[in-house]
Amino acid sequence: MAPENSKDSHAMDQDVQPPPSKLLPKEAKKKKEEKKDEDLSEEDLALKQQLELYVERVQDGDPAIQKMALEAMRQEIRTATSSMTSVPKPLKFLRPHYGTLKSYYEKMVDSELKRYLADVISVLALTMSEDGDRESLRFRLQGSIGDIGSWGHEYVRNLAGEIGNEFQQRQTDEQPVDDLMDLVKQIVPFHVKHNAEPEAVDLLMEVENLELLTQHIDKGNYKRTCSYLTSFASYVPEPDDTLVLDIAYQLYCKFEKYPDALRVALRMDNTQYVKSTFAACKDLLEKQQLCYILARQGVLLELDEELADNDEQRELLQELISNSKLSEGYLTLARDLDVMEPKTPDDIYKAHLVDGRASAGASVDSARQNLAATFVNAFVNAGFGQDKLMTAPSMDSSTGSSSGSWLFKNKEHGKASAAASLGLIVLWDVDGGLALVDKYLYSNDNHVVAGALLAVGIMNCGVHNDCDPAYALLFESVNKEDPTIRIGAIMGLGLAYAGSQKEEVLDLLTPIVQDSKVGIEVAGFAAMALGLVYVGSCNEDVAQSIVLALMNRSEAELGEPLARFLCLGLSLLYLGKQDAVDATMEVAKTFHEKISKYCQVTLDSCAYAGTGNVLKVQALLSLCADHLEKGDSHQAPAVLGIALVAMAEELGLDMAIRSLEHLLQYGEQNIRRAVPLALGILSVSNPKISVMDTLSRLSHDTDSEVAMAATVSLGLIGAGTNNARIAGMLRNLSSYYYKDPSLLFCVRIAQGLVHMGKGLMTLNPYHSDRFLLSNVALAGLMSFLHGSLDMKSIILGKYHYVLYFLVLAMQPRMLITLDENLKPLSVPVRVGQAVDVVGQAGRPKTITGFQTHTTPVLLATGDRAELATEKYIPLSSVLEGFVILKLNPDYQQDHLSS
Amino acid sequence: MPTVSVKWQKQVFTGVEIDTEQVPYVFKCQLYDLTGVPPERQKITVKGGLLKDDGDWENLGVKEGQRLMLMGTADEIPKAPEKGPVFIEDLPEDEQGTAALGHTAGLVNLGNTCYMNSTVQCLHSVPELRLALKEYSAAVGTGIDPLLHSLTAATRDLFGELDKSLRPVAPIHFLTVLQKKYPQFAQQTNHGLYMQQDAEECWTQLLYVLSQRLQSVPQDEEEVTNPVVEHLFGIELKSFIKCAESAEESSESETVYTLKCHISSEVNHLHEGLKQGLKSELEKTSPILGHSTLHVKESHINKLPPYLTVQFVCFFWKRESNQKAKILRKVGYPLVLDVFDFCTEELRAKLKGPRKVYQETEDAKVGLKKKEKEGAEGVKALQNLGTSTSDENVEMVDDAGQHPSSSEKVCAPEPEVTGIYDLVAVLTHKGRSADSGHYVAWVKQDSGKWIEFDDEQPILQKEEDITRLSGGGDWHMAYICLYKARVALPH
Repeated sequence: MAPENSKDSHAMDQDVQPPPSKLLPKEAKKKKEEKKDEDLSEEDLALKQQLELYVERVQDGDPAIQKMALEAMRQEIRTATSSMTSVPKPLKFLRPHYGTLKSYYEKMVDSELKRYLADVISVLALTMSEDGDRESLRFRLQGSIGDIGSWGHEYVRNLAGEIGNEFQQRQTDEQPVDDLMDLVKQIVPFHVKHNAEPEAVDLLMEVENLELLTQHIDKGNYKRTCSYLTSFASYVPEPDDTLVLDIAYQLYCKFEKYPDALRVALRMDNTQYVKSTFAACKDLLEKQQLCYILARQGVLLELDEELADNDEQRELLQELISNSKLSEGYLTLARDLDVMEPKTPDDIYKAHLVDGRASAGASVDSARQNLAATFVNAFVNAGFGQDKLMTAPSMDSSTGSSSGSWLFKNKEHGKASAAASLGLIVLWDVDGGLALVDKYLYSNDNHVVAGALLAVGIMNCGVHNDCDPAYALLFESVNKEDPTIRIGAIMGLGLAYAGSQKEEVLDLLTPIVQDSKVGIEVAGFAAMALGLVYVGSCNEDVAQSIVLALMNRSEAELGEPLARFLCLGLSLLYLGKQDAVDATMEVAKTFHEKISKYCQVTLDSCAYAGTGNVLKVQALLSLCADHLEKGDSHQAPAVLGIALVAMAEELGLDMAIRSLEHLLQYGEQNIRRAVPLALGILSVSNPKISVMDTLSRLSHDTDSEVAMAATVSLGLIGAGTNNARIAGMLRNLSSYYYKDPSLLFCVRIAQGLVHMGKGLMTLNPYHSDRFLLSNVALAGLMSFLHGSLDMKSIILGKYHYVLYFLVLAMQPRMLITLDENLKPLSVPVRVGQAVDVVGQAGRPKTITGFQTHTTPVLLATGDRAELATEKYIPLSSVLEGFVILKLNPDYQQDHLSS
Repeated sequence: MPTVSVKWQKQVFTGVEIDTEQVPYVFKCQLYDLTGVPPERQKITVKGGLLKDDGDWENLGVKEGQRLMLMGTADEIPKAPEKGPVFIEDLPEDEQGTAALGHTAGLVNLGNTCYMNSTVQCLHSVPELRLALKEYSAAVGTGIDPLLHSLTAATRDLFGELDKSLRPVAPIHFLTVLQKKYPQFAQQTNHGLYMQQDAEECWTQLLYVLSQRLQSVPQDEEEVTNPVVEHLFGIELKSFIKCAESAEESSESETVYTLKCHISSEVNHLHEGLKQGLKSELEKTSPILGHSTLHVKESHINKLPPYLTVQFVCFFWKRESNQKAKILRKVGYPLVLDVFDFCTEELRAKLKGPRKVYQETEDAKVGLKKKEKEGAEGVKALQNLGTSTSDENVEMVDDAGQHPSSSEKVCAPEPEVTGIYDLVAVLTHKGRSADSGHYVAWVKQDSGKWIEFDDEQPILQKEEDITRLSGGGDWHMAYICLYKARVALPH
């Protein structure tokens, strides 16, 4: 008791006799306060005096009076209406007494009253306590157990923040957190009930107990919660992100939103979840929608008895999963937009708009320009099944078929690409396409045969046929004598079965990868094909065989330009698999120094591709800061790696673009050459003005390789958009570089890309509202980019068909609405710029600047669509690709309109 | 005997029976009847690959009702054309250039020789001159001055090289011969460099040399002395000289190679400049008055050449600075020049006929375009008319000039000049005096495109940029313009 007394008296002293030195300022302050008091309205003055009275009464000896005062004070605080910008009046008037109350609290004996007072002090601490003291929480814990929500939102929010900090503190001190968890259990339902789901999620994340969430979410708020969960999963480090997605998945399942649940399952890359979603979904129509989603992601799910009710149904669903309707839907779109008429390369070059140079002379065929025209023709007419160079019917019988005549306007290996271009023209249409390609398989020219084999692979890309024609046609040619034919067949297999993990391909190609007698180019393509087929699977057999190949090859062979495909093939196995790559990474350190670093960087960047891992980006950036001795080549893939890792979400993406700008300024030449390509993939099929300008500037760079990369990248960012601005830039470039055949070739390729599929396609590996990343598409882009790192010897050399790897990423950028019989159904939709509405209360508009069209429609990157009619209900919440519509049972025809 | 369905392209044949006793080849023959695909071209997918002709049905496990896929067509196998295309990449390097670029090579500057380079490029653009030089040989005899011959031969060789090469040509031999013939071009500065020269001087001298040596290929025996250069460039002027005091008149006629465009403060356009250039005042002793007096000389063109050379007299001798100073006044010039106003009455009368014909054909072309919209029937007839008129009546001189000896041309009516000229080459100067600065040639190609020959560098230019070379600033300024006649063939 003694010390308490002395403390007491000390406090009394202070009150009674303030030190003389403080007299003056205090008086001045008092004056000021009086003046302030004068400003107060009568009502406020009364409230103030009332509260001061309460404070005095609280310190009264009589518990009854104390209790009454406390109750009254509570009442005042709770009933005070407050706005966002000002402190509630009772709190404001009580602030000067915070210290008094606190010191009195210390003196009180433990009782119910003390807990009451703790409540009040806890609320006052909201505005008074110093940063980091967490007094609000401390008094809260000492206070009464009651409805904390009654103290207002701001209080709860503050409390939640303090809990987060306290939790971390206790974790490090290894103290129990049970009392905190009790509070959390009160706060979470409060948040959820008051439209503050994000805050609830944040709090639960802070206290590492997200599972608590599920029991509080109901039908009314699961959508907002899930959208918050799924979008902030990209910012959560591994492995917590899986946990977050898991919760979202469970919520979607709980509320029977199977399409959404399936998307989350696909994002988690969890086959088990995919299957159980499928099994849980009972509605046939909805199942069909699930099939369309699976097909878009390229997941080949084998349906068994559990997943389908009967054989007939299974066949129907399996056909949808195999994506065999893609060609049909794409052509529906093309017919609707009236772009079926084939386009010639000249229609794309628009030479009449160029000031003359491009078409000067040209009395003699140039093999390189014809090859460029072949590619342009293939990209532009991709998927349409007709063109004017390869498939045009012969005009007169005397000259034979005209398709042959264009084919033979290409030189040697150019013929391979020309024959393969047929595959791109008949893309996704296996039945019709095989008939066109068939005759080339019997040619006596090895290049033509190789091209035809590749064409078979290309047209099967992204679609699956139960008869498996691609394998049947290709597997024998894989072991032919001629390396060109072998490459054609191998690459064809890689394209046709990308992502399918088909074991036959593994058995067929592993011996080739390991055989040190075959040329490095054949082995390289075999490794690439295996990497594509087993993309993101971490398959050990494949990994082992490629690792062996990398170890056994001689130094000279590893120095070849195509040796990079061995590394890339290996890396693709770990695409997006993060630390699963570690073991292989260790092995890669033992490779020959010529390739070791290249391989390590590629492995690392692939493994973390699309994760947005900031630490990886930093590590790769620091690699680029080194000044290298001549001969090292790992900085270029590091630059690409930055783009790959950072492309996961918008913020990181913008940051990466800025970082790349620095590399351009300070980096050495080998880095500068890769920067345009990195920019290209960061905004692929998304022609942002800023990126466009940078690339346009670089396309005039004095270093021709920088210029080439920038030119091709202009094509990448405009791929399939028909962007007039890029098209204009490229036309100018074509006249600027009319004398430089290599750069002109790049310009042509870029022109072909911009007008890809006559503007109906995209190369963006992200889809479903940028939520899902298609591994296969990303792998295709990577193959192309790594091929472009050595433009001179690969794309401008003999291996230009590397360009066809892009087919893996080619997808129609469409929205087709289907009726219940899966027939196209025209409905009005609003298409506009997507708005990020995550975490916003109410029902905010999801698109802005929209226009109303009728389906089928085109969607640009960053566009979102919503139905403009109440008549139908879409089965998928994301309107992209194929969407099945169901009649809305509650819909009532507007009387006026009828 | 299982029955299967066979899918071929987009068709499905159902109920095809397989005789498992026979080899699969028999099955393929069955399908041949259905599809027309020869058995050896048939590819049927079965378990583990393709169906072999002599395979065993037992191992394949074909089930009742199974769907097989048949691939293959009866299409003809594409064959490489017997004569493959010739690719530019396969051509020898020196031929790649002209084939790819569609214009000739540049000329290397050998030290302030841009005056010569641009002159050569301009003259090289005259196909008749090229042709005449090509046929030039020493056989004609070296004549009095051997240097005349060697310079002509050097010009011929240089033109030949320009036609062939992609890379810039170094006219070393030509320069040496030129300097030997005209030592003033070999003047050197203190630093041992060649001095800049006046391009017009070079042009005149070179044409003089060529005019001495080049004889037209005799069309008939009498005209053997008709010199090519005079035929191509010679402008016959008829002048009336009037004495201001005594009013006496005399007339004379002369042949010049260039029309001068005088530049004074009133001249804003080539037309005005030419008018002034054709009028001059000279002091000469009047036989009547007995003392020298002011005479006014007024000239008119009496005969028009296929190629009209116009020189802008923009340099004058400035005594103070002791150099040829330049008038920077902007004098516009047209892409199409009509010299009708400068002609003598006789020539005007002569020109009227061809001009009318020419006008008619032009109208026909325009009319054709108008009527094309009217109806399909009329179009055909008009098109015939249009093509025939444009082919027969309006023919560029070069066609006629290139085949002077062909019999069919002899019978055909001679093309007649119309007094209307198209700009084909411009020699420009950039800088403040004739002996400094930089000369460049701008030449119109057969394809209608303009190439700026800046020494070794040919640069493509737009037509509208050509008229911007009219001076008025420090940009390139036209010094010599070469116009080519539009001709009309009389009916």
